[in-house]
Amino acid sequence: MIHINNLSYRYTGGTLALDSVNMSINKGEFVALIGKNGCGKTTLVRHLNALLIPTDGSVSVFGMDTKDTPKVWNIRQAVGMVFQNPQNQFVGTTLEEDVAFGPENLALPQNEIRKRVDMALREVGLLEYKTRAPKTLSGGQMQRAAIAGVLAMEPECIVFDEVTSMLDPESRKMILDTIRQLHHNGKTIIYVTQRIGEILPFAGRIISMDNGRIEFMGTPREYLASVKSHVPAITSLMRKLKAKGFDVRDDVFAVDDAFLEITKACMKGYEEERNTDNG
Amino acid sequence: MDELFRSYIPNSSPLHRLDPRTKLVSLMVISILVLQAFTFTGLGLFAAFFVLLAYLSGVGTGAFLRSIRPMLMFFAFIFLMHLFLTEGEPIFRIGLVHPTFEGLVLGTVITTRFVLLILFASLLTATTRPSMITNGIERMLRHIPLNRIGLSSFDIATMMSLAIYFVPVLMDNAHQVRYAQISRGLDIRHNMFRGVSTTITPMIRGSLHTADDLATAMESRCYQGKYRTSLFELRMRTVDWCVLCGISCVVFLFSGYANY
Repeated sequence: MIHINNLSYRYTGGTLALDSVNMSINKGEFVALIGKNGCGKTTLVRHLNALLIPTDGSVSVFGMDTKDTPKVWNIRQAVGMVFQNPQNQFVGTTLEEDVAFGPENLALPQNEIRKRVDMALREVGLLEYKTRAPKTLSGGQMQRAAIAGVLAMEPECIVFDEVTSMLDPESRKMILDTIRQLHHNGKTIIYVTQRIGEILPFAGRIISMDNGRIEFMGTPREYLASVKSHVPAITSLMRKLKAKGFDVRDDVFAVDDAFLEITKACMKGYEEERNTDNG
Repeated sequence: MDELFRSYIPNSSPLHRLDPRTKLVSLMVISILVLQAFTFTGLGLFAAFFVLLAYLSGVGTGAFLRSIRPMLMFFAFIFLMHLFLTEGEPIFRIGLVHPTFEGLVLGTVITTRFVLLILFASLLTATTRPSMITNGIERMLRHIPLNRIGLSSFDIATMMSLAIYFVPVLMDNAHQVRYAQISRGLDIRHNMFRGVSTTITPMIRGSLHTADDLATAMESRCYQGKYRTSLFELRMRTVDWCVLCGISCVVFLFSGYANY
């Protein structure tokens, strides 16, 4: 669906932000893009809907090259993007007007716009707030509104660029649930984040970047096996348990899996003890 | 300031249901007529007309008072300027200061005009969603060849609706910058203008940053500044044409009198 070929990008100031990046994203995938601040994650995803044009190499979305200017609007319709600051991506004076902004730009007829706005707001659970002014919404609600604004354009793929970094834990969980639901409904998801822990349980593939290059690409388990530090707290706990001699797997990152592993190890220990007692 | 941007009061009165273009044109015509009113009878007529419309709109008096309040200083200034600076028969005399009877009449007339202007304008904003106002303006501008100066009616409409949303946001930012500086020791108890220059720099930087973010978000949602449709398409109904006819008749009637 998306093919990136030898992509390099140099900012006008002269810094090389991306250095020969190669990757493909398939339809229906959930890809997490991780890495430190300034490693080129945002620059990379901004190439996916032609907000940035490669200095070198190419990006193709559904067979359309992003350098092909007349196709830019089709590309932007196919790949939607939600940004970090919910406040700075609001354009309407009410929620429904904001969600309608995209379909209006596509010059759709009024009844189609109405249908899409209601559909998108229902999908993120904000339909009853549709006539509210943005100022009366919470950060989490605004971010969900921004997602609705993208959904109303019916994109195949949605890029989330650090969308939870300004939210409280409760809203963060709601946003993640919404994103998971969208993936479940067949959307391709590209999720950019610095919080590895929040995305490991959902992502099908992890791509880690450093200094404008791709450092790692693989499943969450493979990712955990490849890194020494900066692992989720749960994984760190499992590693410590294993080092103490407990028979647990150390590539676990979800609470439920960890619980299962630990109880299994405890049961095993208990049985061994009983056997030696009996013997 | 915030109230200016939250003046819309949802209702389903006849005034709410009028097309925004009808209301905009009527407001322009009424404003011109009010600015030419010179007698108390003329002004009284407009005031009565306003009361009738306000009653029809079903909007409480509170909304109108709110729109007048921020302008009170301005009204007082205009009234006093005319009271003291108009030549004529003095009411009393203290030193060089001598308010005149002519000034009293002129000040009252001019201040009343401005009050009426604000009231009629607030009637528009109270009965029309901000997006409908921008939509109406866009539809009226669509017939003007703005592309000769590199603009489109859609650009102007988008700019207006962005301004409506962003003025309160920028005000919030300004407050934040201010608080950040007060918390670092800026003392504004004695002089509230102190630190204005240090407030303005981060504010402008912040606004430019916001504008940049916003432009990216708009572009990624396919904003091209060219032809676009709207969630609320406008339709002139018979009642709209009737109102416009009525307004034309009023203009015709008033144009017969030089002084009203």
